[in-house]
Amino acid sequence: MDYGIYQDKLTRIVSDIARSHSLWVLAYGTGCGAIEVPATMTSRYDAERLGVRGAATPRQADVLMITGYLTVKTLKRVIRVYEQMQDPKYVIGFGSCAINGGMYWDSYNTIKQLDLYLPVDVYISGCMPRPEAVLEGFAKLQEQIKAGEAIGATKYKENLDYYRGNQKKIIKNWNFPDYNW
Amino acid sequence: METFLGKIKDRISVNFDLEKSSIDIEKKRVDVQIRKEQIPSILRYIKENMNFRHLMHASVVDWLEEGKFEVIFMLWAPKEKIRVFVRTKLDRENPVMENLDMIWPQLNTYEREFKEMYGIEFTGLVAPEEFILEDWDGPPPMRRDFDTEAYAKDVFSERIGREDAQDVRETIAKRSGEVIPDFAKKHSR
Amino acid sequence: MKREKATTLYFGPQHPGITGNMMIRLKVEGDTIVKATTEVGYLHRAFEKLVEKRNWIQSFTLMCRFCVPEPDPVENTYARAVEMIAGIEIPERAKWIRVLILELARMSSLLLWHAGQGHSLGLYTMGQWSVGDRNYLLDLFEELTGARIYHMYVWPGGVRKDFPEGFEEKVLKTMDYFEKKLPDYDNLLFENSIFQKRTQGVGIVSPEQIIEHGVVGQPLRAAGIKSDIRIDDPYEVYDKLKFDVPTQTDSDIWARALVRREELRQSIRIIRQVIDKMPKGEVYTKLPNPQKWTIPAGDAFARTESVRGEVGMYLVSDGGNKPRRAHFRGAAYVHAVSLLEDVLVGANIADVSAIMNSLGTCPPEIER
Repeated sequence: MDYGIYQDKLTRIVSDIARSHSLWVLAYGTGCGAIEVPATMTSRYDAERLGVRGAATPRQADVLMITGYLTVKTLKRVIRVYEQMQDPKYVIGFGSCAINGGMYWDSYNTIKQLDLYLPVDVYISGCMPRPEAVLEGFAKLQEQIKAGEAIGATKYKENLDYYRGNQKKIIKNWNFPDYNW
Repeated sequence: METFLGKIKDRISVNFDLEKSSIDIEKKRVDVQIRKEQIPSILRYIKENMNFRHLMHASVVDWLEEGKFEVIFMLWAPKEKIRVFVRTKLDRENPVMENLDMIWPQLNTYEREFKEMYGIEFTGLVAPEEFILEDWDGPPPMRRDFDTEAYAKDVFSERIGREDAQDVRETIAKRSGEVIPDFAKKHSR
Repeated sequence: MKREKATTLYFGPQHPGITGNMMIRLKVEGDTIVKATTEVGYLHRAFEKLVEKRNWIQSFTLMCRFCVPEPDPVENTYARAVEMIAGIEIPERAKWIRVLILELARMSSLLLWHAGQGHSLGLYTMGQWSVGDRNYLLDLFEELTGARIYHMYVWPGGVRKDFPEGFEEKVLKTMDYFEKKLPDYDNLLFENSIFQKRTQGVGIVSPEQIIEHGVVGQPLRAAGIKSDIRIDDPYEVYDKLKFDVPTQTDSDIWARALVRREELRQSIRIIRQVIDKMPKGEVYTKLPNPQKWTIPAGDAFARTESVRGEVGMYLVSDGGNKPRRAHFRGAAYVHAVSLLEDVLVGANIADVSAIMNSLGTCPPEIER
């Protein structure tokens, strides 16, 4: 009898539970929401009890937090950073600017809808979101990971043409290397 | 105070051919307007001979209706505690000015910004081409005839649902089928 | 003979040591920087363009978002610039409340600086303590204004509302807590021999350079020049308060750290005086309907002593219901591009973050 399929499933469930309790967040403050991240990480709110902590480089990080508005210039770097991260990886959109442009809805330099350019797993609303909201966002992400629903990275790979098309629409000087996943 | 401000104004107007000048006692400030060719010499004079050492700020205002750019230098004398505003008007069609960063080094940063945001050319400015914007091919964005809303609508797509979500309370109620009582409707906005 | 070749290193935009979203291109030989080029623009949201599209009160909600760590000085600057042009007199009590808010904001931002400076030198405990304690100040803000970070409280015409009941006692209690806590900070940070050795003689900026570049705030005071807008060009009720302006002479990171250490204590002193002397009365002047409110043509430049130096706002009205132009002068604007490039030459790579923290480089207010 072939147990392969069951083994795969079991491994996935166990590893998802393990992954959900060790989320390393990339220390990249892309916008003003970065001010509430130290508060979330330090003594009063202590995100580390949920297994959330900072990571210095993209290659060691699991979670990319888009803290607030993204300018076109930063978006280019963020895409590069996201593609450097290794699987499993998740994206959290932080603040109302990431959701729909927020108060910069008519600005010529900020993007209005993050999920056109990167696959977002969890959005946290608010300007700024309180540390409690940030923690709830992480808890939500953990639930999703445990249920096997946080599949943003897979979606990104499968629909790369869609995301690339959107990205190329606003990034004028496209000088990225081509990947062959 | 009034006589002191007057004296400063007189001292500047004796040495330079001013277009306009005024004093404001409440704001402790002297305003002078001058042709753009004389800007380097007047700034140097006020800085070195009159002890206005500190450049608080420099700014550009776009007077689209007049067809002019107004460039303002705001100086501060730390000892006398007085402000002097030096203004000049540039032609909007061909805004060219002399580079001033040897007088105050931070003007280099200001000039790079004005060049990018208003398209003002500074002859002799040594700086990288791009400052804030990257690969920008539209008109200088801070000019008043650049419509940021139209540009944003054109380039970035707006999330659906924003246009009808003018009243948050009502929108949420509509989506979830909730009935808002009349007395609450009045204060919902 | 060993031949050394310069390598290019990118410090940022994604770097755990950078003080915000900006980039410095470093040319290094071994561990020493031979050339530094800054690149900003990652946070340009076009504030000044958006202000031109919004009326006077709508613009006020944008103001606190200019610089994240210290929203209140910018709010205050904008409010005072509008009042200067429109000729609005604000009630006496509102002025005192504004001073209280500004000093609380100064404390909260200085605590954030403690964390940043410790973090830049590998002292992570400092951040756990000071950012944790900062929450007590943010609690006060939350009770007063309803928000932790973006208060939108100091507006043209006064402040939005009066104190809730028992607020003064809470402020005093928090100040007691901080006075008890500050010796611990000294033990952890300032008496730490690693911190002393890493900061003394590092990041020296000559006083001439500082004056030439128009840098104000702690870098200027750490170079031995007593300059503070609160005393030189007093606004609100700072001329009725007693406080010292600390100075140092060495002009290195250590000197700037000592200046900030003392400023935290002076802020507590000011807050105690404000609570003690504050008069009763109205807190705002009633303004017309914001949609129809027009301000006579004119211009004004208001400035406030923020945590890192002078912030200013040049505001122009053309007589309409929207600002013609609002140009913000950040404290970091004058040094973060030109001066930083000079200061970093000769420093070690490991000191870049500490130097940026101590000069107070804040990218969001450079590009706005």
